Amino acid sequence: MENLEALMHGFGIALSGNHIFLMLIGVLLGILVGVLPGLGAPNGVSLLLPLTFGMQPVSAIILLSCMYWGALFGGSVTSILFNIPGEPSSVATTFDGYPMARDGRPTTALATAFGSAAFGALAGVVLITVSASWVAKVALAFGPPEYFAVYFLAFASFVSMGGSPPIKTLVSLAIGFALAAVGIDTVSGSVRLTMGIDELVKGVNFVVAVMGLFGIGELLIAVEDEFHVKAISSRIEWREVFRTLIGLPRYGWVLLRSAAIGCWMGITPGGPTAASFMSYGIAKRLSSRRAHFGKGEPEGIIAPETADHAAGTSALLPMLALGIPGSATAAVMMGGLMIWGLDPGPMLFIDKKDFVWGLIASMYLGNVVAVVLVLLTVPIFAALMRVPFFIIAPLIVIICTVGAYSVSNSYLDVVMMMGFGIVGYLFKKLHYPLAPLVLAMVIGDKAEDAFRQSMLMSKGSLGIFFSGTLVTTLIFVGAALLVLPMIWQTIGKMLARSPSRP
Amino acid sequence: MMISGRSLEAATALLTGAFGAAVVVSSLDNGIGWSAAGVDAGTFPFIVGLVILSGSLFNLVQGWLQARDVILRPSELKRLGLLFIPAVVYVGVIPLTGMYLASAFYVFGALAWHKRGSLMFSALAGIVTAVALYLIFELTFQISLPRGALGDFIGF
Repeated sequence: MENLEALMHGFGIALSGNHIFLMLIGVLLGILVGVLPGLGAPNGVSLLLPLTFGMQPVSAIILLSCMYWGALFGGSVTSILFNIPGEPSSVATTFDGYPMARDGRPTTALATAFGSAAFGALAGVVLITVSASWVAKVALAFGPPEYFAVYFLAFASFVSMGGSPPIKTLVSLAIGFALAAVGIDTVSGSVRLTMGIDELVKGVNFVVAVMGLFGIGELLIAVEDEFHVKAISSRIEWREVFRTLIGLPRYGWVLLRSAAIGCWMGITPGGPTAASFMSYGIAKRLSSRRAHFGKGEPEGIIAPETADHAAGTSALLPMLALGIPGSATAAVMMGGLMIWGLDPGPMLFIDKKDFVWGLIASMYLGNVVAVVLVLLTVPIFAALMRVPFFIIAPLIVIICTVGAYSVSNSYLDVVMMMGFGIVGYLFKKLHYPLAPLVLAMVIGDKAEDAFRQSMLMSKGSLGIFFSGTLVTTLIFVGAALLVLPMIWQTIGKMLARSPSRP
Repeated sequence: MMISGRSLEAATALLTGAFGAAVVVSSLDNGIGWSAAGVDAGTFPFIVGLVILSGSLFNLVQGWLQARDVILRPSELKRLGLLFIPAVVYVGVIPLTGMYLASAFYVFGALAWHKRGSLMFSALAGIVTAVALYLIFELTFQISLPRGALGDFIGF
């Protein structure tokens, strides 16, 4: 039970007045970006990132991860009350949450969502607590070939699970790789892909890219639609909240299954969005109340919310233990770890025990803080929805501009951020997935380094990737993840073609 | 003016394709293939560039064959322009006026344009924005925002 002991030590670190304050701030800011149209957890975290450079790493990660919880909760608020998903992963929550709220039960809908979300997050944290140091032990056996194999696994599952057109996913992924390669090459020391612009020697900063792609890109998408916000009473009736929470265990099987789907999708970087959709789909397929889905069925809220939060939480496990982000937000946070001088990966569990267990303990506390706050602040944030878009929009542009500039005091970064904004808009509009680009940008050159170091070790033989049990397994699982969905799709198409029986 | 899915797909594919081509050409400077130092620095960018280039070609053809509907109606395009063009102007004038002045005028302009609320309110919002930026970045986090050529001139 050394994990439990370490966790108690972690609680000791996380439970300081300073950190509780940071949790409150983080959760509140997170709910804010979750609620606001055009902002989500990835841009919230990347907007805050430049401000954390001067902090202690533990404090900084507590602030950012609490912001992440807050954003996950905030996204559900607008999905349910206004049918506007604050972020992609809460899209599935609108299917049943909004009808329930519209039919006069917003309190029940919100309480169901928050209750199941808290359960999902808890499942994710327990998974991290139980398996973190085990993952670290496995990870200690990691050399360059194993690292490359794990990166391969991450890319393989992303490319095949996204649900976007495969060639567009490939282009997005490759652009990320190319952007990661800009600047000084760590293996040879030579300067690459600067296209004659000297300032690019420092590379393309991912915060700059993410702020353009998500912040400006989302804004341009959002401005196309005229906003039709119907005001719904967002008064919270405390007795109804309590009754709903007490009633949740009746859906125990749905909760457990959705949490399992979420955890699995979080660790293999399928991400919260894929997890919530998958969980909703499976719940609908297995439920005896199938006909009620889409009309305000509680199971239809529980399934996506639990999976969303379980995935969002467990996505931090591969980030900490292996240095592989499980979601776009985790990718942004991992960049933060590097900036704070921490190297994500197995050594983190040995060199920076305090940091890791402080973070894990803060996940328990942060989620409790988030659930309480989100229930208290629903009426206030619902009022924010009435702030007109023409005031919000220029503020988002200014926040992104100042944010991009402050990364390295460079005007070129601001110009690049706007460029990424156009790319983000085009990609979103035409269904190019953005997550593979961000993923490749953050771990692309690490994957390349691992591959080239492996090649140096083996003197150019690819056999090194099949030289041990671990590396061979990882490569095969990766290959399976890459190939299986294509086979399933083909089978699905063949089945769809055969005449269907009534 | 309307924009079809076809032309937007084509424009995006050409954009990514041009980037891919630039990556391929640029990577040749670093050498590709195997040398005494292992895999040469240009090899990965070269392969990645080729993937972008061929993928973009596929998307170009695919987009041309499949996307037929109108993707941007005139009203949507107008709203897009009304947000995007001022934003570009805002970023464009920063080297000249600095970030504080540009931000203040940007907020003022955006609010005044909508004619809901008085000019006084718009001006106040612009000033509050600039002051808030100064308090948050300059004072709290000690990040110096650019003052621009104008700032240099008046010695701010």
